[in-house]
Amino acid sequence: MAGTGKSKKRLNAARELTQVVADYYLECQQAHDQGKPVGWMPPMNGVIEVFYAMDLQPVFPENWSPVCAAFGLTPGNFEVSEGMGYSRDLCGYLRNIVGYVYSDMHAAHVPLGGLPEPDLLISFGGGCIPAMKIFQILEQRFPSSRIFSADLPQVAVEDIRDHHIRYAVSEIHRLIDFLTRATGKKMDYDRLEEAVILSDKACALWDEIMSYRRFIPTPISAAEIGIMFVMVTRQGTQVAVDFLTKVRDEVRQRANDGIGVLEDEQVRLFWDNIPLWYNMGLFNAFEHMGGVFVAETYSAAWSLRLDTSNPLEALAMKSLMSYSLVSCLSIRRRKEMVLKACRDYAIDGAVFHQNKSCVPITIGQTDIRRALLKELDIPSITIDADHMDARNFSHAQFQTRADAFMEMLLEKKRDRGRPGV
Amino acid sequence: MVHEQHMVPFTEAAFHRTERLRNTAASGKKIIGYFCTYTPIELIHASGFLPVRIWGEQVRVEQAYTLVPNFICPYMRQSLERAMAGEYDFLSGLVQGYTCDIACGLFNVWKENIPLELFHSLPLPYNDTEDSRLFFREGVQELLDKLSGIGGCFSEDSLEETLMIYGQIREHLLALDVMRSTRRFAFGAEAFAAMLRAGFFLDPLEYLGMLADLKEALEEKEKSPAEGIPVILSGSLIENSPVLALIEELGGVIVSDDLCDGMRNASPAYGTGATPTERLLDRYMRRLPCPARARPSSRASLLLDQVRTSRARGVVFVFQKFCSPHLADYPSVSETLKKKGFPSILIELDEEGVMDGQIRTRLETFFSMLED
Repeated sequence: MAGTGKSKKRLNAARELTQVVADYYLECQQAHDQGKPVGWMPPMNGVIEVFYAMDLQPVFPENWSPVCAAFGLTPGNFEVSEGMGYSRDLCGYLRNIVGYVYSDMHAAHVPLGGLPEPDLLISFGGGCIPAMKIFQILEQRFPSSRIFSADLPQVAVEDIRDHHIRYAVSEIHRLIDFLTRATGKKMDYDRLEEAVILSDKACALWDEIMSYRRFIPTPISAAEIGIMFVMVTRQGTQVAVDFLTKVRDEVRQRANDGIGVLEDEQVRLFWDNIPLWYNMGLFNAFEHMGGVFVAETYSAAWSLRLDTSNPLEALAMKSLMSYSLVSCLSIRRRKEMVLKACRDYAIDGAVFHQNKSCVPITIGQTDIRRALLKELDIPSITIDADHMDARNFSHAQFQTRADAFMEMLLEKKRDRGRPGV
Repeated sequence: MVHEQHMVPFTEAAFHRTERLRNTAASGKKIIGYFCTYTPIELIHASGFLPVRIWGEQVRVEQAYTLVPNFICPYMRQSLERAMAGEYDFLSGLVQGYTCDIACGLFNVWKENIPLELFHSLPLPYNDTEDSRLFFREGVQELLDKLSGIGGCFSEDSLEETLMIYGQIREHLLALDVMRSTRRFAFGAEAFAAMLRAGFFLDPLEYLGMLADLKEALEEKEKSPAEGIPVILSGSLIENSPVLALIEELGGVIVSDDLCDGMRNASPAYGTGATPTERLLDRYMRRLPCPARARPSSRASLLLDQVRTSRARGVVFVFQKFCSPHLADYPSVSETLKKKGFPSILIELDEEGVMDGQIRTRLETFFSMLED
């Protein structure tokens, strides 16, 4: 059986990610030390561009959770939050960040210097319930922070209408007014336009990188999902564009040279739902039998373009769409996206992570699985796990199912003959 | 003495619920289902349809597990089970006012698997500002257009009539809750819950008449104060769970509640504003909040007021298992109560409402502590 320890980093550019991550957290600490206002906010919305344009420092506590998982801090954080009464049935992101902020945030064992305390909290109604509740708990933990209660319509992408966009735009105006009052900094609309242009460039690069997954063998796999870090924390900056350009160049080169993640790619797989942040090596668990995860659902959140001629509306649309694209706001839309990805990337089989920590993405998986089988004859399996809590995952059970699934897929391919490149 | 006969119309209606609703649908009146009480049902009624809250209640879940995981709340699992078994064949549509992730997800699962004429999800604002009310109004118009598309006939006049009916219903419920907190509601907790539940599926005018009769009977007849340790229930849906009887068996008396299918939906009875639509919006913006739409700090202070007003000695938190909004608020809200000298206990309801030994033991301990 192949080991599933650390994920294999195959792209040179992706190896640079470690530095990008370190630089970002260093920047956050330095901002705090230098008196630059630090604001904590949920990811997947247009607040980040507003922050960069106003020379404020954005911090994403949700994104800190995968870092905690990677560095083994999660069990300790869970112990703290569960000791406070937060149920194990709650999302692992929530339990982790609550445990973290109610511990010594800058203890010696905390990597990357930890998170700087927030001067501002962008607390919001919108997205999923745990994301909203995280900020309400943070409000209690950091009572001296200035709080902005944001509001974002929860609507399926295909149901977005003018009044949703108008309201989202009015909320961005309200946010800018709040930030101006709270920090004394004024919005530089030229910088905002520039930030939106940079975000759009990052999205375009993202789409281009994803498009090389069409190549057989695939030059990039889901094990490289960590590159998403720049889409969460660095949108609106040149850092994201430069990093993604390097990734794009390398992936393109590998595609043109016919270099794959696996030398002998046998089976192309699709992953649905958030990865297991504490066990990214799982993406390699199929490799000993020639299976590679070519694509995954989560990356779709960044697969959208921004109308740079109208920055505020572009940010409103981004805010409305990002969560909707990957959640159960529309199962129909997600189903279409998964079917398209599986068609485009010549997927042979799909693995659906039934994720106890993320119900919004888990609900609807059955409908998507059925459609995959019925419309594309693509079989799938479900694995029971949790993107944050290792206690909800049995590796032995997973490997048994994974091996059986791979045997079935290989048998199916042998029967049908491998499709041409 | 108030007789059990005064509760008969409510229990009878519940007993014949499905049959009644099928007859209503057969008569040509369209029935629109909803999950959450943040759905502005007045718009459905004022369009000429009957709004009916989807029920889960005690049913073994089997088929639904082919569509959803087992770590969502039992209410949603059970309601899907019933839908897949064809029990909601009287529905023409499903409308939801957006609240929690699970209701949103299940709305979409229904949309993919249960054939109905209309599905519509209405996003609701979290903040109360001029812009948010404008946004809400535009969302309401979109819903009305959808209802019109299936034959709805709405006017401001029809909404005015509807608001009066629902407002009077809520006034009666608030008065009955006061009777309960002053120990003048002559029946037990299950009867009170049955009375509330009937409002989720009866024609509101008929329900209003039943409530008026009951209230009159309770006011006129000899009083028989309920004995026991006064507690408040706070949480999500209870439906017809045996937990109500268990609390009374163990010496408790429920003097008020902060439940999704209880009094949380009753206050305020009316909104204010120049037009019926504005009054509707105002009520939904100012209603007692669910944790899916409010901060734990604001909910804790409202609950504290309720505890003091009803002279309860403690709070029993009763959650549907896996209910994230309530579970996330619980540590903070219970801590606030504790600091003010009000103990609380948490119990979680799973499928079929089975009261296992652990729940009994926890409640026994809680009431023993309150008795001391």
